Amino acid sequence: MADITHTPPLTLLDRLDEAAIASAAPSQAELMRELRIKGRPGWTSKLPPSLAAFVTNPKGMTGVIVLLGLILFALLGPVFSEYNPQRRAGKPHVAPGYEHVMGTTRMGKDVYTQLAYGGRMSLAVGFGAGLAAALIGLAVGISAGYFGGRIDDVLTFLVNVVLVLPGLPLIIVIASLVDSAGPLVIGIVLALTGWGWPARTIRTQTMSLRTREFILAAELMGEKKWRIILKEIFPNMLSFFMGGLVLGTIAAILAEAALSFIGLGDSNAVTWGTMLYWAQNNMALQVGAWWEIWPPAIAIMLTGAALVMINFAVDEITNPQLKASRKIGRIRRFLARRGRSADVF
Amino acid sequence: MIYILRRVAFYLAAFFVAVTLNFFIPRIMPGDPSARIIASFQGRLNDAQVEAIRASYGTTGSLWEQYIGYVGQVLRMDFGISTVQFPEPTSSLLFYGATWTLVLVGIAITLAFLIGTMMGIHAAWNRGGFFDSVFTPINVMLNAFTPAVVALLLFYAFSLQLQWFPLGRAHSTGLVPSWDPQFIGNVLYHATLPVLSILIVSFGGWHLGMRNVMINLLNEDFVILARAKGLSDRRIRYRYVARNAILPQITSLALSVGFLLGGALVTEQVFNYPGLGKFTVTAIESRDYSFIQAQLLLLTMSALVANLLSDIANVILDPRLRKG
Repeated sequence: MADITHTPPLTLLDRLDEAAIASAAPSQAELMRELRIKGRPGWTSKLPPSLAAFVTNPKGMTGVIVLLGLILFALLGPVFSEYNPQRRAGKPHVAPGYEHVMGTTRMGKDVYTQLAYGGRMSLAVGFGAGLAAALIGLAVGISAGYFGGRIDDVLTFLVNVVLVLPGLPLIIVIASLVDSAGPLVIGIVLALTGWGWPARTIRTQTMSLRTREFILAAELMGEKKWRIILKEIFPNMLSFFMGGLVLGTIAAILAEAALSFIGLGDSNAVTWGTMLYWAQNNMALQVGAWWEIWPPAIAIMLTGAALVMINFAVDEITNPQLKASRKIGRIRRFLARRGRSADVF
Repeated sequence: MIYILRRVAFYLAAFFVAVTLNFFIPRIMPGDPSARIIASFQGRLNDAQVEAIRASYGTTGSLWEQYIGYVGQVLRMDFGISTVQFPEPTSSLLFYGATWTLVLVGIAITLAFLIGTMMGIHAAWNRGGFFDSVFTPINVMLNAFTPAVVALLLFYAFSLQLQWFPLGRAHSTGLVPSWDPQFIGNVLYHATLPVLSILIVSFGGWHLGMRNVMINLLNEDFVILARAKGLSDRRIRYRYVARNAILPQITSLALSVGFLLGGALVTEQVFNYPGLGKFTVTAIESRDYSFIQAQLLLLTMSALVANLLSDIANVILDPRLRKG
């Protein structure tokens, strides 16, 4: 007997409908709410894409805010202090209180005033050296990657030598030959020894960019070489440049602190590193004067942490897979709630 | 093999750059070491004495003769006589300190690399999960903390307050260095806190590096193929992804050796550990130039050897390099 209740085979469209009904298709807004994804605010659409990606990155913006706070403190902090960072302002090792917000050092110098002035010096050395190293790296990296050939051979050799030679011992040699290695000397030496990494990254990126169509088009149009480098290649290197700048600054601030701490720096200069040096020399912890050691220590740690946050954001811009991975956890849990296999990534 | 030979040639060239820098830096600086010493006698020296001081610092004759003399000295590992521990030759002090630094930094680097890399593998495999979103930022921030502060705090808490660990030295006085378990245990006991303070500030870098490289590899076709073949997660994680991701890690490990050996001086200073850094700080304070220069050459050599080892490891781990 023939089957009378014959149903026509399902078409592809029917199946899609069925799937949609089965999952009770939530609207896009509902999905975004459940996944806790926010759309980008409208005002970011006017910014260049990489900048827009940065300002919407929570980690990056936290870092920027903390860093701006530290810079503001270093710039404006001394205004609220009547003391001179180099002169004694009270009795030795006064505990924090009304007269001295952060207490005084063994020498009776005001810790708050030293912290603010030292911040100017430490941040200036850190950012100055980081910026200089990133700029040298940018120039060397783009030239090596774009011109290739003999120029590339020579520059790559230099980059590899700078990478392989240990920087800190070299700085020690130079700093020990200068009578008192002030912050400026330390900054210059740090800049001259720290450009290897950014140069290497930017060279690799430039080499992959050089073969792309828009560079070829610019070359065929007869654009000058420096113009191609500035207008076509440089904008694409911005985020790598930023990465080099951030990492270079961290390295420079840490190295300055380390060199001052072991007594290589000019011990009369006021930086966070020399504050630690004096605190260690005066046995601040042993005599219970924690306020001599914690303020510079926390300031250096905060600066490092803020720069690391910014670097996370820069990493996510230069490497989109890292950004995607941030949301994968949520998507997996979302799929698991709906009874779907989460084994798709 | 040709690849390794090319690398060896590069390292020899890099070494000569270091030797040349070491030769020229004191000579372009205002007032070279011998001029300083002569000046410190304020004209109370006769010509023969001045000449003798110049000769002992190798600043007689033309620049070219000085350079050849210097290179010859370096090749013979003759770094002159220490002015601090007179009349001990610099090289014997140097190698004594280097041994202890090697113990310290060797243990610390190995532990930091293993812990960081394992954490990075874990974070990348469960990316976006709890471990990754909490510990990745924390570990990397630890990486940006000053070694000085971490070392000081550990020293204060565990050596001074709780007195669980000794106040300094590499081993108890009265013990004669040997390979018996008691001595090794004593050395490890003395090295615990210094190693810990280097470890705390360095494993975050390996964590982040491994995680970032691995996340990129996890989306590659060969991983999907491995999955389609039904291989176990464990096998894919270690044999397929981690094995590839560890190549750049090994390269940066080698590049960081020179930096870490130099950076140990803060730790050695705080814990009063008789390593290269401690001697270097003493040398800086007493302006012992021959020691300061010799430590740069020794650290450069160690960095170059570490890089050579990493090249060999890369060739073993990565078959693609064996053809070139």
